[in-house]
Parts: sequence; structure tokens; C-alpha cells
Amino acid sequence: MKIPRLLQAVLVLAAVYFGFILVFDIILDAVIPSSLLAMYMFFAAAGVFMVFTYDEEQTRELVAPIKALVEDPSKRPWRNIVFVILPLAVGGGTYMQMQPSFEAPLELRTIHPAPPSTAKIYGKRVNLLKLENPLRKIEKEDPEQFRELVNEGAAVYIRNCQYCHGDKLDGKGPYADGLNPTPLNFQDVGTIAQLQESYLFWRITTGGPGLPKEAAPWISSMPVWQDFLKEDEVWKVILFLYDYTGHRPRSWEHE
Amino acid sequence: MNRPRFILGFLIAVLAVAFGGFDALAQEVQEAIAAFAPAPKLTAADYPTIAGVNSRIAVWIFAQLHLWFAAFVLAVPIFVFIIEVIGMKTRDKRYDDMAYEFIKVSITAYSLTAILGGGLLFSLILFYPHLFNYLSTIFSETMFYYALLFFAESAILYIYYYGWHWLQGGFKKWVHLTLGLGLNAVGTTLMLLANAWLTFMMSPAGVDAAGVFSGDGWAAIHNFLWNPINIHRFVANIAYGGSIVGAYAAFKFLTASGPQERAHYDWMGYNANFIAICALLPLPFAGYYLAAEIYAYSQQMGITLMGGIFAWLFIIQAVLIGTLFLSANYYLWCGMGRSDGAKRYTKYIKYIAIVLVGAFLVWFTPHTLVLTNEELKALGGPYHKILGPLGIMPAKNTAVNVMIIFTALSFMFYRRANKVATVSWVNAGNAIQVALFTAGIANIMFLGIYHGYFTNTVYKVAASIPQVLTTVLVIVGSITLDSFIYKGSREVAPLHWGRIPGRAQYALFLLAVAFTWLMGLMGYIRSGIRQHWHVVDIMRDASPDAFTPTLGFAANVVSVAAILFMAMVIFVFWIAQVSGNKTLPSGYWKEMAT
Amino acid sequence: MKQFLTVVAFTLLTIGFFSAYSNYGIPQIEPAPPPKEEKLDLGAMTMDQFIALGERIFNGKGTCTLCHNELGRAPMLGTLADVVPERLKDPLYKGAAEDLESYLIESLVEPSAFVVVGFGKKGTNDSESPMPNVAGGSIGLSEAEVAAVTAYLQDSSGAEVTVEIPTHVAEADEEEEAEEREALGDPAALMAKFTCDACHMINGQGGEVGPKLSKIGAEHDRDYLRRALLDPNADIAKGFEADMMPDDLGEQMYVTELEVLLDFLVALK
Repeated sequence: MKIPRLLQAVLVLAAVYFGFILVFDIILDAVIPSSLLAMYMFFAAAGVFMVFTYDEEQTRELVAPIKALVEDPSKRPWRNIVFVILPLAVGGGTYMQMQPSFEAPLELRTIHPAPPSTAKIYGKRVNLLKLENPLRKIEKEDPEQFRELVNEGAAVYIRNCQYCHGDKLDGKGPYADGLNPTPLNFQDVGTIAQLQESYLFWRITTGGPGLPKEAAPWISSMPVWQDFLKEDEVWKVILFLYDYTGHRPRSWEHE
Repeated sequence: MNRPRFILGFLIAVLAVAFGGFDALAQEVQEAIAAFAPAPKLTAADYPTIAGVNSRIAVWIFAQLHLWFAAFVLAVPIFVFIIEVIGMKTRDKRYDDMAYEFIKVSITAYSLTAILGGGLLFSLILFYPHLFNYLSTIFSETMFYYALLFFAESAILYIYYYGWHWLQGGFKKWVHLTLGLGLNAVGTTLMLLANAWLTFMMSPAGVDAAGVFSGDGWAAIHNFLWNPINIHRFVANIAYGGSIVGAYAAFKFLTASGPQERAHYDWMGYNANFIAICALLPLPFAGYYLAAEIYAYSQQMGITLMGGIFAWLFIIQAVLIGTLFLSANYYLWCGMGRSDGAKRYTKYIKYIAIVLVGAFLVWFTPHTLVLTNEELKALGGPYHKILGPLGIMPAKNTAVNVMIIFTALSFMFYRRANKVATVSWVNAGNAIQVALFTAGIANIMFLGIYHGYFTNTVYKVAASIPQVLTTVLVIVGSITLDSFIYKGSREVAPLHWGRIPGRAQYALFLLAVAFTWLMGLMGYIRSGIRQHWHVVDIMRDASPDAFTPTLGFAANVVSVAAILFMAMVIFVFWIAQVSGNKTLPSGYWKEMAT
Repeated sequence: MKQFLTVVAFTLLTIGFFSAYSNYGIPQIEPAPPPKEEKLDLGAMTMDQFIALGERIFNGKGTCTLCHNELGRAPMLGTLADVVPERLKDPLYKGAAEDLESYLIESLVEPSAFVVVGFGKKGTNDSESPMPNVAGGSIGLSEAEVAAVTAYLQDSSGAEVTVEIPTHVAEADEEEEAEEREALGDPAALMAKFTCDACHMINGQGGEVGPKLSKIGAEHDRDYLRRALLDPNADIAKGFEADMMPDDLGEQMYVTELEVLLDFLVALK
């Protein structure tokens, strides 16, 4: 039996929808955000529409059931049912949408807010655009000493950072569950791998309170580490973060 | 005496005299402004409020409307010229008629461009007198030449248009083509001059830190972002002009009275769409180059552009560009109905659609996801391990290259639809085609994934260049190969121009509307990254409107401007049509004895 | 007509969709307002803005960077927070300051209170500073401006900023400029008023930023000297840099004063 084209179209869309849910929510255990899924479905629907209607004959076949429903006298009972159910469904949907809920309003965090050009760190005004990790050059000059610095950075990390950011640097430390926004996952390719070391230095030393206004809401519980760590300790931790995750800091030069 | 030659000589003489005289005048203007003041430091009181009008929105809308019309009237002569040449080469009169119809459509638009340009000028002088003053001390000379070129442009355009039917055949056609070339040269120069003014505001040159002009006008024109903008605008204008003419043809198609008229406007719409797509394909690369140069000029500007508050604007842009690609492809697929041999290829369309939509979803995925609290908890943070990597540049570069290649593939199928190859090596040729596409896509994916995620940032950015080269190679290679395979091919049946559903015409409308709106939006961001500066780091905007508005607000202004523009375009088209209507009132005129 | 209306409706719907998506489909982020222009209203100024004001005065109106730069004409100021406590204990210190803030203000208006070794006026054995009083003469910083520079110096050298933003001044400096003053008739008083000797050496007194004036009358004529005073960058003496000498002396001096000064200079042979 040939499936009517209208039903085909609906089935394809349903398959795409549940396919996304199946793949993301169940197989990969990484929920697909509903806002994104809505847009994905919108464009998937556009694609299905395009494929099903580029040909005149097939389009007629596609809309035939709809046309029949509206025009065919023999379909009158069906028509009446649909014409009652459809407005009700739309009304119901609108009601559900507008209904106040207990869900906290959506919050958007800009993951990488644009840094200011200068910031006051350790009592000095620092030009973030030009700042470089003073220890980075040792990587080439003296690999052994560099290893040592990384190890010192690791020690600083374990004493201070791993409670939230995790001992695997994956943002899953013992306290991570209690925090919103959750601690950053440094293993992720979209985090420190995208950034320059000066950016990390700025985020570590000035913490949540140092976030610019654009990055609001600034409820990040990242402490202002310049009050607790020495400057070279911060640079060492940064060395460790890149070393352990295997990422390279963003730079404008070839290596 | 040969008349055309005489006229040409006369024109040259007139122009030479005019230029000589104006040159002397320009010299005087130059001397009058020999001493240059630094950029003024303004306060809110320096900005007049007039009749409660919001200055920024007034200037914004005027500038935007002027730009749309200017883009249109600069682009149309470019492809009118090309079509006219094709007509001359092939001796197919349809091309000549189509070229004439295009230029007819643009002629009313031309005066509207001038009127809106005047409106922009007046609103700038009224609402931002100090800014205008400062810019005009630096660009007095170019403004002068601009006015001059505008006269030249008008003169050439009028001769080109009104002389169309007069300058036909043999030598006269050559004269006409020369005029067309002159029209384009002048038009493009006009655009380059205007671009210098706006890029000066973004990347000032030829002035010192206080804004004192060195007197070197060329330095101010040839500022850092001038050429990137020139390239981007030139290509985009052609695509835009094509899309607007496409919308015109679509409307004429829908309201056509007979099959012959339908066939004509179908053919016209197809050609306009073809022009639009050809220019659309390289556009993402021109945009990428422009963005890279902005980054290179000022990292702060670059971060504001891509990472700061404007980051979300690129999601809107992604939606619009996706719309452009999808509707262009849809139009091609619908157009396959014109040919009887298309059935052989339609079975592939759904796969193209799947790839296109898939690539588009990647292209569209934002770096920062909007998450409900529940989702945030379920994910354990704002980072999505699957979708996160799709949010950054390597994935998007890969996606857009794949989209471009598949659009080219759609186009190839369309071209093949009505032909049957007769060469002996057709199977081998097809195999090479398949290999070329497969290898190209594989290379793009490899570059995107390997360099995008497993090397440092320098390579991430650098990988985009071989990706683009691969895309270009695949497209050029496959089209060349195809032209050999189909050399001496026979047609399945004559093409049935006009056999296309009305829906396809709406794809053309969508293309035009999306293009218009997208230009408005990108114009906003180009101007918006200056933030609270009239001229970056030199002349501060102290007006109450110096703040950067939210994207929603900007989108609303763009929408209002776009609706105004569309209304004017409808007027332009209507006028073009009215001129062809004749009413013969019976018994109105007194009978003349014959 | 029906086709036309359909097309219009389609266009409006499309634009409406784009607009709606931009308004509701993506989060609306309110961009930070443009940074305030600081110098207008001291009362509404934050400390950061006040420091920024100080920085601009330091680089601009105060002309401090003429000498306090890498060329070594005057001490660099990045380490003030560390060295000042020692200077206060130094037996050579002649001032009355007790902490960094009061030391900085004092050094701005009374530069000779402490002269860093090697930076004194030639021939004074480091007992006198070549630096002019920034509150007087051609620099003429107001009390608030001195406070701003002090705040900037504290901030840039890594110390805590202790200066308070003055609340009562603001318009003082403008009034001062408009104030009428008596024309001076004595070349020595003029030299002092316009702090020429901060840069120019006359008879063994003064700095070395500009050319020596001891025999200037023999080297150049009156017209040259007038031009040099009014438009200092017109001719630059060999071995010296442009843009060092203030170019607004023409506005600050009375015509009679200019002539008195020229008489004096031409006579130096």
C-alpha cells in the first residue's frame, strides 16, 4: 500500500523530531535544548516542504486530502470535526504557552564576554590585549623547568580549584552540583582552547565580580583569586590547564 | 560625416571641458580649507532636536533606503551590460529585450536613489552638523568629484537608456556597449568614493590622533577597511540587483495574461536568479575576508563583532543566509519541471535537501545555547558536549562550504536535466564528476574537523582558506568537465518556459525580501561596531543616541525601512508599467479631417 | 489585484517573521551604555573616572610626559609607591609631607622639595628641580586637576588611591583663565611666569630640554625668535625634538610682554 504523501510528510517530520530526541536525550545523554530544537524543526519543516512541493503533480497529490476535506461534500462530518478541533487546539496551545509557571525565567550567559582592553589586576592597570604569560617562553627554552612549573601549577590547582572544576578538569568537582552556573569544563573544545592566556588570567584574577555588565547575570561564584593567589601562581595554573587538557592557547602566531 | 562618431567626439570634448573647469574650481576649494582643525569634542547640546524626531533613526532610515536603491541601480547596469554582450554575441534578440527591460526598471529607481541621497545629506546636516562638517573638511574634494561623477552618471544613463533602440546594429551597437561600460565605470567609482567615507569612520586614516587632517586625501580614502568593503559590496550588489529583478519578473509572471508572456517572464526570472546565485556563492568568502580584516585592524572591534553583544546577530544572519540558500535551491528544483528529461535527476533532490538542511542546522547552531533551568541541570552546565563544537567557526566554515557545493550540484542537475550526452566517454566522465565531488567534500570535512578541533587557533583560521579553494576547485572543475561531456549533446525536448508553479515565484520574492532585510541588518552591525564613536577613537558621539540599541530594536528599524523600501520598489515597478499603457478615450479629441 | 495583495501579504509576513525572530527568538542583551565623558561633572565621577581624568591630564594638559618618559630627562613614576617612603626618610628631603598622597601633591606644586639624585638643575648639585610648579605658569593645573593627577600616579604605581574627589571646585580653572592680569614688564618675571628655564639654559641656569639661550641673540635675529616663540615647531634647532615647547604662548602673552621678552633675548649675546 502506498502511503499518502501528506502522511509521508508528517511521518518524516515526526521521525526527525523523535530522531533528535532519541539521539541526544537517550543515546548521547546530552539533552537538546528546546529552543534550539524548535528552530531545527522549523527548518526541517521548510526542507520537507521544499522536497514535497517542487513538482507540480506531487504537490497536487500532497494537498489533495486537505482540499478534499475542505471542498468534498461527502467529507462533511470530518470537516465539522476538524473545524472544531483545530481552533480549540490552537487556543489550548496558546493558553498553555501564556500560563504562568513556576519555572525560573530563562537566563542567558555569554560564555566569553568581550574582555575590557585594560583591567586592574594586582594593583596594576594591565593591558589585556598585549598581556602574555611570562612563563610560556620557558616551554621552549627549558622544557625541564617548564615541567616543574606545570607541576607547581598542578599543586596550586589541586589545593584551590579542583573542588569545583574537578580533578579531571572537566567541571565536575565535588561542589559542582551546588553551583549555577556550573563550573567550566576545561576539557571542552569550546572553552580554554578558544581563548588567549591573558583572557584566562583576567577571568581567574577578577572572578565572578569582575565580569562586565554584558555578561550579566553575574551570579558566577568564581572567587576573585588575586586576593588569594600570587601572580606567578595564577600563571602556573594556566600552564597546567593547557598542559593537562592538551589544548593550545589561542595565539596569532604559527608554532 | 559618420554621425555616431561625431556624437562620440562631441561628448568627449564636452566632458574634457567640464573636467578642466571643475578642476580649477576644485583647486580653489582645496586652498580655502588649507588649515585643518582637530575633530571637535561634542556635548549633548551640540545635537539639535528638531520637531521631536529621533535623529539617529531618521538618518539610519534615510541611509538604509539610499543604500538599497544605490545597490540596485549600481548592480543592474553591470548585468545589463553582460546580458547585452551575450545578446550581441549570440544574436538572440531576447537577451537584448531583457537587458532593456532591466534598465527600464532601474531608471525610475535611479532618480529615487538621488532623492534619497539628498534626504540622507539633509538629515546629516540637520541632525549631525558637526560630524558632517568634520567629514566634509576631510572629504571636500571627494564630495566634489562625487557630485561631478553623479552628473556624468546621469548623462550616460540617459543616453544609454533613451538611445537603446536608436543605437542598434553594427557600429552603433558598439557605441552603445561602450556607453554601458562607461556607465558601469562611473557607477562603481561612485560607490568606491562613498565607501571611503564610511570606512574612514571605522578605520580613520590620514589624520592624527586628535583628528587633524594631514591634507592627504588619498590616505583618508585608502584606509584600512576600504578595499575589504569595496569587494564585499561589489559582489553583494550584484546578488542583490539580481534578486530584485527576479522579484519583478516573478510578479510579472504571476500577473501575466498569456502563455507567451509567462514564458518570457519565467525566462527573465530564471536569468535574474542565476545572476543572484552566481554572486551569492562567493559572498560568504568576501564577508569572511571583511571580518578578518576588521579583526586585524582592531582586535577590540573584532571581539565586539564576533564575541560580544553582536554574537547573536550572527545567528539571525545565519537564519537569513540559510533562507537565501534554501529558496534559491527550491527555485532551481521547481525549474526542473520545465524540462522533460528532468525525471532522471529528481530522485537525487531529496538527498541534496537533506544535506543542505543538515549543513544549515550546523551553520545556525549558536555558541551560547538558550537553556531552561531544567536543561541546564540535565546537561550539568551551559556547555553542550555535542552541540558546543558546532557553535564555533570551523564547523560553520565547513557547513557553508558544503552548502555552496550542494547548491552548485543543484544547478548542475538543472543544466543536465534537458540534455543527453553523446560523447563516448560519458560514463568515465560521470565517474570523475562523482570522484571530484566526493574528494572535495571529504577534504572540506577533514580540514574542518582535523584543523578545527585538533590543532591550535592559527590553523583553525588558516584551514578556512584551503576549504574555500577546495570549493572553488570542485565548482570550476565540475562545470568545465560538464561542458565537455555535454559538448554536442542533444536536447530531450525544447524547454517549456513558463511551466513552473507559482510557488517557485514566491521563492524569488523570499530571496529578494531576505536579501533586503539581511543587508539592512548587516549595515547595522557594520555601523554598530563603532559603538559610541562617530569616527573611531577620534570623534566621539556625545548625542543621547550614542548607546548601542538591542538587536530587537535594530531589527524593528530595519523592518520598517524594508517595508518603506518595498513600497517604493512597487511604485517604481508600477511606473515602469504605466508608461506602456495607452488609453484611447473615444470622442475626447476632436476629429481631424484626414 | 488579488495576486498583488497576496504578494504584499507574503512580503509583510516574511519581514514580520524576521522581526519577530530577532525580538523573541534570540535573547535580547542590553549593551553597556557608552562610557561617560569624565571631566564635565566631578560630583558624579567615580574614582575610576577620576583616575582616567588624571591620566589624560598627565599625558595632555599637564605636559608631564615631555620629561617623564623613556628618554631619561626626569625620573620614571611607575615605582613611586615603593620609593616614596624611603624618600620621606631621606635627610635630603626638605618638604613636610608624611605620606604618599601629600608627598605627590607637594612634589607637583613644589618640585624642589626632593630632587632625585642626578635629576637636579645643572649646577645646583641636585638641590633644585628643573620641574615647574604644575599649578602655576603655563601649565596651570587647578586644585582638582592636581588631585586627579595624584590619584592617577597612585593608581599607576600600584598604591591604593587615597585622594578624595574634590566636590566644590570644577569651574575654578575656567574662571582663572578668564581672569585679567597685569602685563609684566620685567623679562625675569616673564621667564619665571612662563617657566622658560624649565627647559632652556640661560647663564648656566635651567634645563637642557631646549636649546641654550645664553647667546641666542648672536645666533638668531628678532624675527626668527618671534616665530620661535609663537610657532615653536616652525624651525627646530639641530639636536632637539619637535612638539616639546608649548605652542600657545601667543595666546597667553600680551603683545607688550612678547616684545619685552624679545628685547631681552636679542640682547643676549
